[in-house]
Amino acid sequence: MESLITFLRLTLLSMVPFVLAAQGTMLGGRAGVFNVAQEGIMLVGASLGFIGSYLAGGSTLVGILAAMLVGGIFGLALAYFTTSLKMNQFVIGLSLLFIGTGLSTLIPKLVIGVTLSQPLIPTLKDLPIPLLSNIPFLGRVLFSHNILVYFSILLSIGLWYFLFRTQLGLELRSVGENPNAADSLGINTSKHRYVTAVLGGMLIGLAGAYLPMVYTGTFTEGMVKGRGWLTIALTFFAGWSPLPVLYGSLFFAGIEVASYRFQAGGIAIPYQYLLMVPYLATILVMMFTFRKTRVPGFLGNNYDREKRSL
Amino acid sequence: MEKEAILELRNIRKVFDKTVALDSVSFSLYPGEIHGLLGGNGAGKTTLMNILYGLYRKDDGEIDFHGKKLNIQGPRDAINHGIGMVHQHFLQIGNYTVLENIVLGTNVAHPGTMKLDAEANKIIELGNRFRLPVDPNAVVDTLPVGTRQKVEILKALYRGVEVLILDEPTTNLTPQEVDDLFESLRVIVNEGLSIVFITHKLREVLHVCDRITVLREGRNITSLTRAEASEEIFVRAMVGDQMNIEDSVYFSHGSMANTAVDESSNPALEMQNVSWKTKEGISRLSGLNFQIKRGELFGVAGVAGNGQRELAECVTGVIIPTDGRILMDGRDVTALPVCELLKGRISYIPEDRLHDGFLPKANVAQNLILGYHRQKPYCEGVFIKWNTVYDKVRDAIGEYKIKTNGPEDPGGNLSGGNIQRVMIARAFSMDSQVLVAHNPTRGLDIPSMDFVYNKMLERKKTGAATLLISEDLDELLLICDRVAVLYRGQIVGILDRKDFDKYAIGRLMSGIQAEETADLRAAS
Amino acid sequence: MTIVRKIAPYVIAIIASFAAAGIFIALTGANIFQAYETILFTSFRTPNGFVQTLLKFIPLTLQALAFTIPLTAGKFNMGGEGQMIVGAIAASAVGIVGADLPAFILLPLVILAGVAAGALWGLIPAYLLYKFNINEILTSMLLNFVSFQIIDLVATGPWRDPVAGHPTTVQIGQGGFLPMLIKNPPLNAGLILALLVAAAVYLYTSRTTGGYELVATGANPRAAAVFGINVKRMFVFSIVLAGGIAGLSGVIEVAGVQHRLIVGLQHNFLVLGVIIALIARGNNLAVPFVAFFIAILEIGASAMQRTMNVPIEMVFIVEALVLLFVLLSDVVRRR
Repeated sequence: MESLITFLRLTLLSMVPFVLAAQGTMLGGRAGVFNVAQEGIMLVGASLGFIGSYLAGGSTLVGILAAMLVGGIFGLALAYFTTSLKMNQFVIGLSLLFIGTGLSTLIPKLVIGVTLSQPLIPTLKDLPIPLLSNIPFLGRVLFSHNILVYFSILLSIGLWYFLFRTQLGLELRSVGENPNAADSLGINTSKHRYVTAVLGGMLIGLAGAYLPMVYTGTFTEGMVKGRGWLTIALTFFAGWSPLPVLYGSLFFAGIEVASYRFQAGGIAIPYQYLLMVPYLATILVMMFTFRKTRVPGFLGNNYDREKRSL
Repeated sequence: MEKEAILELRNIRKVFDKTVALDSVSFSLYPGEIHGLLGGNGAGKTTLMNILYGLYRKDDGEIDFHGKKLNIQGPRDAINHGIGMVHQHFLQIGNYTVLENIVLGTNVAHPGTMKLDAEANKIIELGNRFRLPVDPNAVVDTLPVGTRQKVEILKALYRGVEVLILDEPTTNLTPQEVDDLFESLRVIVNEGLSIVFITHKLREVLHVCDRITVLREGRNITSLTRAEASEEIFVRAMVGDQMNIEDSVYFSHGSMANTAVDESSNPALEMQNVSWKTKEGISRLSGLNFQIKRGELFGVAGVAGNGQRELAECVTGVIIPTDGRILMDGRDVTALPVCELLKGRISYIPEDRLHDGFLPKANVAQNLILGYHRQKPYCEGVFIKWNTVYDKVRDAIGEYKIKTNGPEDPGGNLSGGNIQRVMIARAFSMDSQVLVAHNPTRGLDIPSMDFVYNKMLERKKTGAATLLISEDLDELLLICDRVAVLYRGQIVGILDRKDFDKYAIGRLMSGIQAEETADLRAAS
Repeated sequence: MTIVRKIAPYVIAIIASFAAAGIFIALTGANIFQAYETILFTSFRTPNGFVQTLLKFIPLTLQALAFTIPLTAGKFNMGGEGQMIVGAIAASAVGIVGADLPAFILLPLVILAGVAAGALWGLIPAYLLYKFNINEILTSMLLNFVSFQIIDLVATGPWRDPVAGHPTTVQIGQGGFLPMLIKNPPLNAGLILALLVAAAVYLYTSRTTGGYELVATGANPRAAAVFGINVKRMFVFSIVLAGGIAGLSGVIEVAGVQHRLIVGLQHNFLVLGVIIALIARGNNLAVPFVAFFIAILEIGASAMQRTMNVPIEMVFIVEALVLLFVLLSDVVRRR
């Protein structure tokens, strides 16, 4: 029982970076901008989240804001190069990925210098919800977490309502499905693409900052470990919809926690096998779901009003 | 007519890259009229109206609306001023409902919950008033073309437009649906709206328009009322002096066609019970049976999406029939791969040139040898002989009047009409027993269409057969020896040239069975 | 004239990126011009510097080709790193197991094993693409993370060199060493292999019918399929070939440079390979030249970190910026 509670608690805790990054990816994709720079944006978010918090004397808020700011800047760059300059989304995404990866290790070296042991920042505190957290079992699994756990759940529900129950959501989705049609009805396609790319970048940056702020208390090189790429896979097989993204994140987090628990449990398999599990499981899931899911009709393309249809 | 024009476009100029699409074009529209905008492909009709609708930005010129200068930055401005446009390729979100498509971009009563009852009722009411009935809750992707067009017109009416622009609205409609559309248009102008009707079909403008403006190569040619108009004036206006109208197939009313075919030998192509189902088991073609004789030009009519593409791809080997056999000259070729069929048996002009036929990222030479690259004289062993290829390509560029900088020009630099010329040059570059041509003249100006018709008629002399699949019924009636009608993947009738009748074919196209057609004819 | 017009955007891109990086370098308090000089000229100051540059050039060229070949067919192979690692593992396994075999048997076996292993590792995403239509970018990338664990497993397993601090295997047999072109500083025959591969790839894509089919597939797979090209087979073939070439880069690291399997031998080669391929705009002929330029920067970057204490990532940012500026030049030209 106790280990089940721990497992579920940790799963919810580890779900957060997946939820935030995948919702960010989904949001941009719904307007047609396909971000592939997650790995880089998360790294630079983790790096700046750590540095921001460190420089502000351990302030989590400053760290979070710094990570979201840099994520937003990357999102803005993606939107500008693809939407305004009509450059290939995948290639620009890769370039931003590389720049983010480079900056993530460069900045700590410039700010803190090369040290044997990195300084630590305080990690996010749990905020048990009064009353609810006293419910047996559920209280500890669901209602005594750090604020970003609650935020990521509320965000998912909020995004679902926004996309499918509001006029603005209808307009946003139309931009990702058929910008020609949206544009011909006077919808500002560029604005939608910019806003979602920037908001999406901010969420992805925040997802990165979660790693030093909750898991390690410090930044280490390459600490995202492919979660950015897993996020893309997750977004695809969640069909670019907010609620399936939330469920999918739980699944990813579950696998991640399970493989670490096994390792800690001292089971006699070399740990390397366990560390392969998330990637192999993702590929396996893709084999069964990739065909069935739908992607926004214009995903990954750039719209040019005056380009004559041939 | 001494009425005041509500809309005036003066000296509009538009340049794309370096080509002048519109050169000082003027146009005026009176209240309550249907104004035909006539011209061949590339005349600038759509470009002019896209400028009015705010989709393109003009380089020069002025627009007056109700006597006031109008500054249109985008479609939103046009809509706010009461200008609506129905595009040739419908601008709809396929997975949205009719209702969602129509209200998209307008302010709905409940933007925070999207309860759209009031909007749905308004749409039903508009549909009844203008004879455009639709189900607001149907998903657009599931609707037939005719209904989708109604949605598109309702989209404009819903926004309370004063001026409605229709771009080639009769493409893909049966003759009966065209009549219904024209009736709706009359109802619309009788309520005080004005309509701009873009088309390249002369007969349609003479039938429905009050006034007609002709454009050619981006210039004004003439503007006349229907009373002043005659067919000859418009024909001359549309093609100019560069073409000899007397010798053209396009204006020949079919007199150039020649039904002599070789009846004695094996048919060039024989379809025996050919069926094709998708992977999901949905039937797209069922039990096709027909023969094409040597030297025959065999047409296939039908509303788009009734199996034309699948038919073309079965014959060319792109997809393999799930049932039945295909014979060429008596030999079973059903499962032969495309590259084998392209060796002297088949040549192919696909319908969707951009997706199915063209390599935009490759150069003109690479495009012209696609499919033939493993044949002599283009290759020697595993190596491609680029020098030979370039020589051949230069010849083709000259003969087919492809506007390009040469064999190494990237395909992406070519205009739509020139891409179509590349498709045609490739299909005619090697001999073949059967040419499969699917909408081969789409996007071509009149002289080029004429060129293609001549090429196809020439094939008859050599005993080569042609399968011409076209959405343009006039084109089929013009040059084919026989026309089959495809409806929901079945051939519902094959007519000989002597029995050609537009309305009879139209009834077949909309699924009214052949027997009923005969009954109708007997009754009338 | 045309050659000037082709090279001009590159020159401008390089100058612009150096200028941008100069700002950062100045922030660290280092002398900007001394830094530029170190980055650009370390390769040419000593014979050792030049040989080091060539040794970087080999894997960079091969990794870039492992990206451009599928790119020609319109596919993205992000798995060059994993394919390299798996190739290196197979090469060392054969080299260790057959340590006593004579060179004329062992060396071909080592090379073959590495190339085959890389190709097989490439076959996984290729097959998943062929069979299930799964996006190859994701699968090839995710397999890299799997390969990191495999190399760790092998280097800490029975073949582990107990003396080394870092996870490393014992040496492969002498017969598996690539011959040396120069003894001191050591330059192995892998250079010739890399140049041969680059030339063959260029000849194949530009002159042969198979290469034409690869280009046509990349230009528009649907049209290529309609006109009789088996595009799915071209996808598989291009990714498997790329895997083989990436595997060869692993072989050369083991048989030519390290003579053993070392965890982390892939350095940053995938990312640099992709940068090179994209700066070369997928043009196979341009790849070796761009790779050489990037090799100069990489060697300069290490020297700069050693002598001036400027972090090595600075040059990585420069490289990414060069890519971005080269891409931007397309936009400028469109206008």
